[in-house]
Amino acid sequence: MNPHLSVRNLSFAYFNQDVISNITFDIDQGEFVGILGPNGSGKSTLLHLLSGLLTPRTGSISISGTDTRRLSRRKWSQEMAIVFQEVNRDLDLDCFDVVMMGRFPHWRRWQKENDRDYAAVQKAMQVTKTHSFANRSFRELSGGEKQRVMIARALAQEPNLLLLDEPTSHLDIVHQLDIMNILLELQKNSITIIGVFHDINMVAQFCNVVLFMKKGHITHQGMVETSLHAHLVEELFDVEFLEETHPYTFRPFFMPLSKKKTPEVPTASIHLICGGGSGCVFMKDFLEAGFSLSVGIVNQFDSDQEMAAKLGLPTIVEKPFSPITDDTLKQALLIANQSDYIFISPNFWGHGNLKNLDLALNLLYKGKKVLFIRESLSPTWDYTGGEAIYKLQQLLHDGAQAFNTISEVIAFIRIDRHAV
Amino acid sequence: MSSRIRNNIGKLKKANVLLLLGIVLALGMMIALGIGGGRFRFSEMILVFHYSSLSASERTILFDIRLPRILLSVLVGAGLSLSGAVLQGLFQNPLVDPYVLGISSGGAVGAVIAILSGISLGFFTIPLFSFLFALGTTFLVLRLGQIGHKFPLETMLLAGVAIGFFFSALISLGMFLAGENLHQMVFWIMGGLWNSSWKKVLAILPPIAITLPIVFSYSRELNAFLLGEKVAESMGVDVEKVKKILLVISSLSVAACVSVSGVIGFVGLVVPHVIRIITGEDHRLLLPASLLLGSSVLLWADTLSRSLLHPVELPVGVVTSLLGAPFFIYLLRRKKRER
Repeated sequence: MNPHLSVRNLSFAYFNQDVISNITFDIDQGEFVGILGPNGSGKSTLLHLLSGLLTPRTGSISISGTDTRRLSRRKWSQEMAIVFQEVNRDLDLDCFDVVMMGRFPHWRRWQKENDRDYAAVQKAMQVTKTHSFANRSFRELSGGEKQRVMIARALAQEPNLLLLDEPTSHLDIVHQLDIMNILLELQKNSITIIGVFHDINMVAQFCNVVLFMKKGHITHQGMVETSLHAHLVEELFDVEFLEETHPYTFRPFFMPLSKKKTPEVPTASIHLICGGGSGCVFMKDFLEAGFSLSVGIVNQFDSDQEMAAKLGLPTIVEKPFSPITDDTLKQALLIANQSDYIFISPNFWGHGNLKNLDLALNLLYKGKKVLFIRESLSPTWDYTGGEAIYKLQQLLHDGAQAFNTISEVIAFIRIDRHAV
Repeated sequence: MSSRIRNNIGKLKKANVLLLLGIVLALGMMIALGIGGGRFRFSEMILVFHYSSLSASERTILFDIRLPRILLSVLVGAGLSLSGAVLQGLFQNPLVDPYVLGISSGGAVGAVIAILSGISLGFFTIPLFSFLFALGTTFLVLRLGQIGHKFPLETMLLAGVAIGFFFSALISLGMFLAGENLHQMVFWIMGGLWNSSWKKVLAILPPIAITLPIVFSYSRELNAFLLGEKVAESMGVDVEKVKKILLVISSLSVAACVSVSGVIGFVGLVVPHVIRIITGEDHRLLLPASLLLGSSVLLWADTLSRSLLHPVELPVGVVTSLLGAPFFIYLLRRKKRER
């Protein structure tokens, strides 16, 4: 069977500037495709080409096996409809009439609206839950309601393929979800949907196919559940993301980290001794300061371990809920020894993780600079009856340095590196 | 049809509005027939229907002077308002009037040339020149504004403005050189219906009669334009073709109006606005309603202009502008308050 939409070697240029470069892809009937990509990657232009609003420079588009160049404008509009982000906000026309306009490609000149037109409009308004404001003026509606009417208008065309150009960008979360659920409903009726979205998580939650666009190329196409992963999204946007599994839908869920992906060489390497979630905040601070990190020793499933894994940091891991063994300690020594600095985050000390301080002492005697926050010396952290405090004091005595804040630590490392 | 979501209010409203405007127009025409020489005579208004009982001079006054003038004002008002509504819809710009493509200045240049050159092709010399120049200007603006196969409306607007300036300069030059003909030129440019005749009525009837059905048949396309050109095109509207057809056809009827009545301002600008406020933006109602109201408005403006300061007759263009401009300002301020 033919794919529903088939694009071959499609190119388009504005003023000799390539906007779409030699794109080829297929979309099957009933798929819900989310197009993701940074601004200016050609997503919008692609939709314009697919809907025939722009003429490609080269290449072809086929709908259900028919080359669109053989379709009249009217036939094309019966096959596919498009919804844009912006709408004429002051339009003083009853919503019913707005939706009825969608019947345009089915009319001949002078032909009056017939039962089929009314049926199509009614169905479109039911799916989009807009029939309650059929007799209200379009300009009185809220942004989300307007967008729903515009989708109803598109559905009145009775298209097999619905294109949407950032349909939810201006809407609050409730209306965004409204729209996405309407689209899911349409997909169940085997309408193929292709939408450009800004929100990766909307795509991850609702779409089943994802299409990445960057600089006029399609850089990735695949099923959301199996192929939408952080490293691909990072490559697409040049921003780091944390990938989680949505606890309810089990779809991937992405959180952007607060910094741009930094390709430059790290200025210093640090080994972070932490645990119990105390290290997460320092991972962010150090990475954003441009340092490279290794982590450990932490127990498996400790939140520090999970964060380090998400960030892809080299980590020395001990078995869950187990005290640190000598083997792990040896391993940690090997890895931590490659770092320039050792940082001990203020965390609770018990007999299970006390060996982490031995690790620090060991490294100190190997000539590493050991740094920690002065607050760590407070007895509130110590559940070993004074042993931990003693070791920290010993560290301090033998040359480790204590600071008041993390900014002081970072400042120290920067100056120290410079001196080296 | 039981399944209709739509109640019938919309349809009823449409029929009512048009009926009302039709009645107002018909009544206006009757009353205007009875107005002359600075006063209203009920008898004259009624006697039209008793042709046989009229004296020869009464027949001349009613049928050769008042009736053609009334019909001409109705036709010109209809042509200007309808074109105004079409062009405002097409350009999606409320400040557009029927002269946006330089038709008025083109027509005026034609008239000025006819007057200056002294060419005489009989009674229709000036109207013919003005009609041809008006149409020629439209095509010039269309050519200038055209980019490839497309007619971007902003470019078109700018081309119209530029040509308008150029022609205004030509008109000023013509007036400077006019000498004793200056009076005639000024009268023409100010706009008026004083030289109305059956010939003029018959001359502009065909272009307006052709325009009406074509323009009405494009109501749906104009509605689609309300959603923006892109959306209209995506729904299957051949946007460039519609623009071309509507620009040419409305220019045809505006050129015809200008050729017989000079430049009459504000009717084509204000009337569609008033209708929009009453009925909303649906062109299926907006177009016929604008036409009917435009006819009434120009009819009354002309009736006022010929009777207000009798025996002095004011140029109707001056009357429409004097009344239209403040009214337009009122509408603007009202709209501002709504926001």
